[in-house]
Amino acid sequence: MKKILVSFSVAMALVFSLLAAGVMADSHTAKVRVLHASPDAPAVDVYVNGDLTLEEVPFKTDSGYLEVPAGTHDVEVFASGTEYAAGEGVLQADLAVEAGKAYTVAAANLLESIEFVVAEDSMEVTEGKTKVRVGHLSPDAPAVDVGLIGGDALFSGAEFPGITDYAELDAGTYDLEIRLPDGTQVLPLEGTELAADTVYSVFAVNTVDSLEVIALVDYEAAGSPDGMPTTGLGTPDQSQSMWLLIGGALVLFGTSTLVWKRRFQ
Amino acid sequence: MEQVPLFGKDGFNKQLMALLLLFLLAGCQQPVDEVSIRSENVGFTLDEPAAVTIQQPAPLSNPINGLKRTGIQPDTLKIPAIDVEAQVQHLGMTKTGEMAVPDNIEDVSWFSPGYQPGQNGRAVIAGHVDGVEGPAIFWDLSELQLGDEVLVQDEDRTLTFKVHTMESVPLDLADVSAVFGYTSSPELVLITCSGTYDFDRGTREERLIVYASLIENE
Repeated sequence: MKKILVSFSVAMALVFSLLAAGVMADSHTAKVRVLHASPDAPAVDVYVNGDLTLEEVPFKTDSGYLEVPAGTHDVEVFASGTEYAAGEGVLQADLAVEAGKAYTVAAANLLESIEFVVAEDSMEVTEGKTKVRVGHLSPDAPAVDVGLIGGDALFSGAEFPGITDYAELDAGTYDLEIRLPDGTQVLPLEGTELAADTVYSVFAVNTVDSLEVIALVDYEAAGSPDGMPTTGLGTPDQSQSMWLLIGGALVLFGTSTLVWKRRFQ
Repeated sequence: MEQVPLFGKDGFNKQLMALLLLFLLAGCQQPVDEVSIRSENVGFTLDEPAAVTIQQPAPLSNPINGLKRTGIQPDTLKIPAIDVEAQVQHLGMTKTGEMAVPDNIEDVSWFSPGYQPGQNGRAVIAGHVDGVEGPAIFWDLSELQLGDEVLVQDEDRTLTFKVHTMESVPLDLADVSAVFGYTSSPELVLITCSGTYDFDRGTREERLIVYASLIENE
């Protein structure tokens, strides 16, 4: 089996104005993550609506979810360090995103025919279950199945460039493999632990002679209350404010009396 | 025409002015509602490009395993910048579905059905801004600045988060599911009350929400 890439850590510059929108009060935002899955493309800079949003994203790296306003965004990809010029990128798309939804935007295929593959990501899972899907992003690999070693296929006939629907399974450990439809193993994934309350995407990337897998967590479920906490036990002294009001009224009364006196005395 | 003396000739107006002075003095000595004043113009967010280190967990032989980050069940919260050190209670929801909070003013509460600090997603810790007698544990939360550190500990681990955003949100506009929602990196959210007191609702009109992201994992 091919050694799956060792740990890599990448500095990415994020323009946080985009992120900031996500945590502000209104909920009209979507989650978008970008995945570099073009094996021969250099590291890239990603511009959203003309703003540098991700910097130096290398092959096999994802950005994590960025919060972006719902609507249509001009997403453009440049070789890292290239000066931005509208419409001059190696890849451009008008990406429409809906509030409350999450998306994976993968730059796929070889550089000469680089393309976006976009999928909506699931932000829910039945309690105690696990969810998984696979993406075929290896440009020259044939259609594959993903299934249990010596058992049934969970996903059949996954083709480049495509991302399957999710399959919901019992949480647990599975001996999986990527295989050709005739049963020939392409890549073993033995002892795959799929945790409860978690949603996964598993992408097959790189060219067929060095096929490898990138796995991402799309979502982990957790509880949320219905309302914000009540975090003040104190109350401003109501009687005091009442007195201030009365005081104000008296002042007004007093002043008007003076004015009245000035005029008419 | 003879000029009217400022204070009038009769005793009635003198009494009025004396009253007025009394009110003014009272006002100076005791601000009516300091919390609402302190939280009036708060809020910031990181708007400059910042280096974010994306660390993929060292893969085992199987790249799907070891993807999830494990969090902690926090015991202690420390915010050196505002001199806060508090015990963390683990609480869920009240009968009405709100995030529950401690019934004292020294402790804070972690919403334990939600995300754990250190796990991907927003872990939420709330504390009171004031008590009947005066300031409570999160009295100075509105003083936090961009980049201030927030430490969350259990017996074994200390997680350090860095403040990146503060906002004061009217209760009706607060997007609860987003504040307690999933993010693909570990976040910590601190909440306390802000804004003016709404006597009809029996709580303040706004919530001060501070967002911080994990910077190191020891």
